[in-house]
Amino acid sequence: MSDKNKGLNRAREIYLDSSRRARELRAAGKKVIGYPCAYVPLEMLTALDLVPYRTCADMKEPVTEADRALPHSFCPVMRNCLDCALKGRNDFLDGMVAIHSCDPQEKTARIWESYTHYPYFHFIDMPITVRPEALEYFKGQLDDFRKTLEAFTGRKLSADKLETAIRSHNRQRALVRELFELTKPSPPRISGTEIMQVVKALTGLPVAEGNDLLIETIDEVKKRTGRPESKPARLLIWSSTLDDTDVMQVFEARANVVMNESCGGIRAYKGEIKLTADPLEGLADYYLNEITCARTFRQAALGETKKDYARDLQSRFGYLKGIIRDWKVSGVVLLLVRYCDPFAFEMPSLKDYLNTIGVPNTYIEYDYTAGALAPMRTRVEAFIETISQR
Amino acid sequence: MHFAGVDIGSTMTKVVLTDKAGNLLSFIKGPTGAEHRQLANEVMRQALEEAGLHIGDISYIVATGYGRLNVPFADCQITELSCHARGVSSLFPRARTAIDIGGQDAKCMKIDNGRLANFVMNDKCAAGTGRFLEVTASALGIRLEDMGDISLKAARKIPISNLCTIFAQQEVVALLSRGEKLENILAGLHDALASRVAALARRLGLEPDLVLTGGVAKNIGMVKAMKESLACEIFVPEEPLLTGALGAAILARETYMRAAAAGEALPTKSRRLEKATFFSQEHR
Repeated sequence: MSDKNKGLNRAREIYLDSSRRARELRAAGKKVIGYPCAYVPLEMLTALDLVPYRTCADMKEPVTEADRALPHSFCPVMRNCLDCALKGRNDFLDGMVAIHSCDPQEKTARIWESYTHYPYFHFIDMPITVRPEALEYFKGQLDDFRKTLEAFTGRKLSADKLETAIRSHNRQRALVRELFELTKPSPPRISGTEIMQVVKALTGLPVAEGNDLLIETIDEVKKRTGRPESKPARLLIWSSTLDDTDVMQVFEARANVVMNESCGGIRAYKGEIKLTADPLEGLADYYLNEITCARTFRQAALGETKKDYARDLQSRFGYLKGIIRDWKVSGVVLLLVRYCDPFAFEMPSLKDYLNTIGVPNTYIEYDYTAGALAPMRTRVEAFIETISQR
Repeated sequence: MHFAGVDIGSTMTKVVLTDKAGNLLSFIKGPTGAEHRQLANEVMRQALEEAGLHIGDISYIVATGYGRLNVPFADCQITELSCHARGVSSLFPRARTAIDIGGQDAKCMKIDNGRLANFVMNDKCAAGTGRFLEVTASALGIRLEDMGDISLKAARKIPISNLCTIFAQQEVVALLSRGEKLENILAGLHDALASRVAALARRLGLEPDLVLTGGVAKNIGMVKAMKESLACEIFVPEEPLLTGALGAAILARETYMRAAAAGEALPTKSRRLEKATFFSQEHR
């Protein structure tokens, strides 16, 4: 099972050259639409036969061009992402869908639009709370998105086509969760690095090809005799974006990373989209309510104003408890990309929550550059030393 | 049967040798420097010479510090956080918090049962580290080792508003040209650094006894400023640079004894004092 064009090998190749397949498809006549964040409903692109391509940052690329447009004290991932775009890495795109998932995304989108000239550009104004009014508003935003897509492609986005696309993407979500099931044993059957390569590959492939890759990979991993070495700790990493294997290697040199709770991991693949009479209803509900990213404000209960810290923590972070139990997580790393305000502001409460449920945890900040890896290694190793001596 | 701890810090390399019972036999401190980074073997050779030992006499060697991977003859690597915690608690059994301020890091460690329980470190810039003092000493044209003594003569502290090492240097030069007294500026500088490290320590939660280590602990002005910032008693070991290497030697002994008691074979490296080679040298 070491076919170069299948499973883990194929994932690794796409990881190393993430736009290769998208460029091939474009050369063959397909239209490719970029998106920078997990909140863009890819189902709507897939339904219109558009190829979604996640525009990514490159940690090894020193930021130079983006300094023309963005201040230095700004989300380094978005700075880097824009830098790559300004250096022409995404010039093959036919369009771009940006979304107000966080302020740096919104600000960068405007600059992106003015510096690049794709035939199609759309911005989705996504609300920040999960209130029913917000859901209504978001649905309206998705309807606007539908209209601009229809105008761009000259095709109608029918409920039927959208439903078929939703089923394919739901299948992808289920397959990614199945992949993460393989990290439950000790030692895990697949490493955090391998999973990261697969997940990154998915963001550069049409959904059907991604699903094939997942099926091949799961089959390959289940059949292979080799597996990652057992390490003294089983870690869950909670982060905004964790998409570089060099960062993952810092952890996996000393521990098994069994859960990647970030945009380079399971975040975009939890739960599934409900098939509703108006498919936009199910889409809006899923993207607003189901994805657990720190950008969304969740109240303990609707309309609740009295302070109840324990319930508040439960409603914001309760989803982690089951994962920690089921994956036998022995330590949680809160990995913060510098200047990421939404995640930084969650840290104190999340630490409180993890301490309440009795899981060792540590907080590590880095600036999304390769130079940050040496100090990170010391912190990671020291944390593993403290939890493995217990 | 002897044990060794090698601590390669950003500024200084330290080696501690102990006997079978864990008693200190010799220690050596030398600059890490750009070239010396490859020369852990040289510092080790000196320490062995002083103790009248041969490298073959050492049963187990632990390397620590940011250069811990550049010690080819070390049997295992343990982070400086675990090593400092262990070293401090061997010297001060009642210590519950240790603060180490070195050349490029400031770290605060909670100690439980003689071991590292939790820690925080400064972010990667030089603010809050020994480098901050080094850079400003050179800007002021004084020797690093005189800074503390001079600062004690201050009649008042000039607040230094900028903790960025580069900007603080500019601020200090501007204060000098304004005619401010050197000792008052130095007292302000120590205060600025101490309050930065104290804030870091408070994030972890302070518990007495508190021990201050690292090169900066040799600066009497800093010890005073830390006492004021943290409002508590501070203990400083006689050789504050050595706690990491000492902890490494103790952990080497403990690891070896534990394996021996369990009848397990402990893999060790070749006992040749080789110079470290870096991957990058292949490309030069």
